[in-house]
Amino acid sequence: MKKQVTLQKEFLKGIWDNNPVLKQLLGLCPVLAVTVSAINGLAMGLAATFVLFMASLLISSIRKTIPPQVRIASFIVIIATFVTIVDLVMKAKFPDLSKALGPFIPLIVVNCMILGRQEAFASKNNPGRAVLDALGMGLGFTIALIILGGIREIIGSRTFFGLQILPNQFEPWLIMILPAGAFFTLGLLLGIVNIYTDRKKRLEHESLIAHYKRVGREELIEELEVK
Amino acid sequence: MELFIIFISAAIVNNFVLAYFLGICPFVGVSNKLSSATSMGMATTFVMVITAIVSWLLYNLILVPYNLTFLQIPSFILVIASLVQFVEMVIKKLSQPLYRALGIFLPLITTNCAILGLALFGSMREYSFLENVIFGLGAGAGFTLALVIMAGIREELDLADVPKPFQGAPITLIVAGILALAFMGFAGMI
Amino acid sequence: MNKVIQMLIVLTSIGILSGGLLATVSGWADPLILLNQKAATEAAIFRVQPEGKNYEQVNINRLEVYKVFNENNEEAGYALVYDGNGFSGKIKLIAGLSKDLNNIVSIEILEQIETPGLGTKITEQPFTSQFVKLETNPKIEWIKGTEPTKPNEIQTITGATISSKAVVAILNDGISRLKKLRENGELK
Repeated sequence: MKKQVTLQKEFLKGIWDNNPVLKQLLGLCPVLAVTVSAINGLAMGLAATFVLFMASLLISSIRKTIPPQVRIASFIVIIATFVTIVDLVMKAKFPDLSKALGPFIPLIVVNCMILGRQEAFASKNNPGRAVLDALGMGLGFTIALIILGGIREIIGSRTFFGLQILPNQFEPWLIMILPAGAFFTLGLLLGIVNIYTDRKKRLEHESLIAHYKRVGREELIEELEVK
Repeated sequence: MELFIIFISAAIVNNFVLAYFLGICPFVGVSNKLSSATSMGMATTFVMVITAIVSWLLYNLILVPYNLTFLQIPSFILVIASLVQFVEMVIKKLSQPLYRALGIFLPLITTNCAILGLALFGSMREYSFLENVIFGLGAGAGFTLALVIMAGIREELDLADVPKPFQGAPITLIVAGILALAFMGFAGMI
Repeated sequence: MNKVIQMLIVLTSIGILSGGLLATVSGWADPLILLNQKAATEAAIFRVQPEGKNYEQVNINRLEVYKVFNENNEEAGYALVYDGNGFSGKIKLIAGLSKDLNNIVSIEILEQIETPGLGTKITEQPFTSQFVKLETNPKIEWIKGTEPTKPNEIQTITGATISSKAVVAILNDGISRLKKLRENGELK
């Protein structure tokens, strides 16, 4: 009997605990490429979330009819279809944004986050849960993109979402807009996330030890220390 | 001459990994050992060249003449997935040791955005057949180059005192940034 | 056997549905995309030929050329779209040219991927303004570090010499091809 995960948790896990970019390290290609500005990050995030949502919804609905041997091929065709739709709609209705994001919209097809969620979740859960998972992961992805894009935009162009927020005296760090800056920023961001996560784990660890000491169950502490 | 420029551009000046951010997943995941980096690089180059050939034929002989270019994305990715499957089978039959060396890397190549990126760029830039093949060769060479350099650095880094939160992906990305900066020096070569 | 049939049915139906859906969306999107491209080019034409009110595409020999007319429907000049290699990649530009092709009216960089903050300055005012009313005979020349002294000379951007020289080379190449076509009588 699978432990019942609350619907709320299903949605929230993608935002921090299992954030596709910051924790699972999925879908890094577009993360580095399009985040020269916050708005590009937002657009890419929304596009990927749409594809993830539609794909998860469809695949979850028909999951019982797809034979296991052809599941990867089926997932890929379905994902590719929705990506093409997003690409066409963007080219038709938002040409400037489409040009800015360039070839990375079609590349959403091989975003390991989307394929990964189908394989790990959507194909094994009902549409309701699959959709919540998709929304959570998509939101987490988009937030990570906006953070990265925001940092690079603020330090590299003085602006955030196009609005200037740093004074003209501040000489922008051009490196932020270059590929090197993307690597540095993401690397530092991941490092900081790890520092935070490790610290949290350590604090929980310590409070658990204190708790065991209080209730007189020191023998459990040794088990903890081994981990 | 033009072909040489395409090759050098894809391999060095506009390196797929360090300038276009294609192929980051295997780049971060597989570059920890020199031997696996080399194998992955060669396997990817092989798939890239064949993809360049097949995608060019598919796009120019079928999709364009029959006005089916909107099927480009699904058809390209299906071609790539099938090619990888096919290459895996062929290698398994022809050379057991090679198959064992490449192991799990082969299926991973399917989701390597560098391959799809190569196919898409090629059709966007309207390369001729030969230009596309050279482009594939250059892209693969560049990918391998980036991977091998990174692996070499990471093997040294293993002996260094990297702070724990930065071990693994974070320090790899920071090193990649430095590499990207270095490769920028090649711009203007063409 | 049953399993194989099921696999085939599933894959084929997914394929057909996918194809059908994409064909529909593509049918809706394609005309819009073409309109967008046309609007973008048109806007650029009128920016490099400020007196232009009307234009006509007269592409010859794979050169993208537009004849521009002013408000009295007289020929005001041409607009040429051309590209070539820059520092980091292709540079695509549009140049407004006088009727006799001896002067540039104005230029605009359409596409480029030059170094941000350095090469990208070729899209900005001090650089592009140099091309207004610039003479094209015998060809456009560049000078580094000092003010230009000749009517067909421009100054390269400090720190972006190669990008600047690329723009000059692209203009020279395109304009000379256009001039040759006019000599052959092929330019309407």
